[in-house]
Amino acid sequence: MSEAVLSVQTAEPRRLSEDWLAVVIGVGIFALALLSIAGFDALGWLATTSVWIDPRAALAPASKAYAGLSGAGALVLTFLALLALLSAGVFALGEDVKRFALAFTAVFAIAYACWFVGSWARLAAVTPAEQAKYGLAWSLKLTSEGGFIVALLAGLVIANFLPATAEWLKAAIRPELYIKIAIVILGAFIAVTAAGKLNLASSLLLRGVAAIVEAYLIYWPVVYLIARKGFGFSREWSAPLASGISICGVAAAIATGGAIRARPQVPVLVSSLVVIFAVIEVLILPAIAQAFMSHEPLVAAAWMGLAVKTDGAAVAAGGITQALSQAKAAAEGVAYQPGWMLAVTATVKVFIDVFIGVWAFILAYIWTNAINPRPGPDKARAVEIWRRFPKFILGFVATFAIALALALGTPAGASGKLAAAIGEANVLRVIFFTLTFFSIGVMSNFHKLWEEGLAKLAAVYVVSLFGFVVWVGFVISWLFFAGVKPPLAS
Amino acid sequence: MPDLRDEMKAPAEPLLPVEKKLIGWSLSLGLALPVLLVLLNRLAPLQ
Repeated sequence: MSEAVLSVQTAEPRRLSEDWLAVVIGVGIFALALLSIAGFDALGWLATTSVWIDPRAALAPASKAYAGLSGAGALVLTFLALLALLSAGVFALGEDVKRFALAFTAVFAIAYACWFVGSWARLAAVTPAEQAKYGLAWSLKLTSEGGFIVALLAGLVIANFLPATAEWLKAAIRPELYIKIAIVILGAFIAVTAAGKLNLASSLLLRGVAAIVEAYLIYWPVVYLIARKGFGFSREWSAPLASGISICGVAAAIATGGAIRARPQVPVLVSSLVVIFAVIEVLILPAIAQAFMSHEPLVAAAWMGLAVKTDGAAVAAGGITQALSQAKAAAEGVAYQPGWMLAVTATVKVFIDVFIGVWAFILAYIWTNAINPRPGPDKARAVEIWRRFPKFILGFVATFAIALALALGTPAGASGKLAAAIGEANVLRVIFFTLTFFSIGVMSNFHKLWEEGLAKLAAVYVVSLFGFVVWVGFVISWLFFAGVKPPLAS
Repeated sequence: MPDLRDEMKAPAEPLLPVEKKLIGWSLSLGLALPVLLVLLNRLAPLQ
């Protein structure tokens, strides 16, 4: 497999893991945002893009406290801050900072340009009132989050038509890091959203248990059986493939590969397939959800968390589904509070992620004791659960818990200061989402994947994904979320 | 990197009893637990 298809580090020594780096950066951004409650607006200079018809009026600083700063100035500051922050992170990972910085400059420029284009009123305006405001007879009604789709398409064009450029950008193509940082920030955003409707939020969390059961106990054995009996794959290929399709894409495939002592290349090849299909799902499923489930928005949101693999693609699909569903509802005169659908998708995905370590341990125990028994210290150990645990989830839990405590127990929560502070951190979450979409696109070289004989592996994926994963995911989502609606916007 | 086209020519490995157990137990639990969760959902429906 070419590294242009997917770059997964498997053996390189690091000073800090990517998961812990995401925790440090995400929690750091959250802490900076909280300073505004104490009167110091540390993130208000971040650039935001409004829906625009005149591009000169699109960019602005996030806070009025920085109104003296032009939109272009805010964008340059935002870029420089992210460049410095992520370069320091890449240094901590023990990788080439100069290569990253050069590539990130291009990645940020293209990704933000996509976000900017996606905010064009012709693409983003939703309601008749918005169309009238911008003097438009029609618009695609994608909301400004249509910028994610533009970024994904731009990445796909580069991957498949400009492979040399994709190779050059590779140093800054880190969708897993970007989405993990975004998910840590998302924890605080979900908490602030949930604080307003605590009963609904706690009930939604409990329903996340259903997602675990489905991913690990229904999807996994069926995909494994299909791969082994239907397509004749060996155990070494079937187990990472089953985890990749069933659980959480790249992380699960790599954890399973390690657990059963597969050759390192096996989970890497499976991961490349996971990424390709995640792109296809992101392009197809939100549109289906908008067409058929706009009256059951939380069913649609849970479905994205269950059906779309990889954290980045799943949460991204949840974001698009939220944008499309809310746009359709708004056009019909129903305005839902933003954030609830994304919260459901992220909750479902996080619940599934939490058990990767446990599942890897179970597989390691079975493989080392019954399938490939070896004498000596090669047996599975309980510490493997912790080693495989996706640590960025700790960051998500921390920002969620702190923000929820502040929202419920302090005057800042009641006065709206906390929501405003988290709103500024959310500006960066959106940028990290955009970087994720663009990166997923750049990693998806369909031609190279085909060249390397993955057609049969892809056939298992197609049969499993569209044969039952998508449908079972829909049934489970319907069973637990049908009839439940996000609160209406006041 | 392994080329799957070559690896596919290898004879298929039969399912071991422990694999059958893993599949059987997982599916049984996977089908039983949602029923319990649906019941729980009925008893404590989303507000």
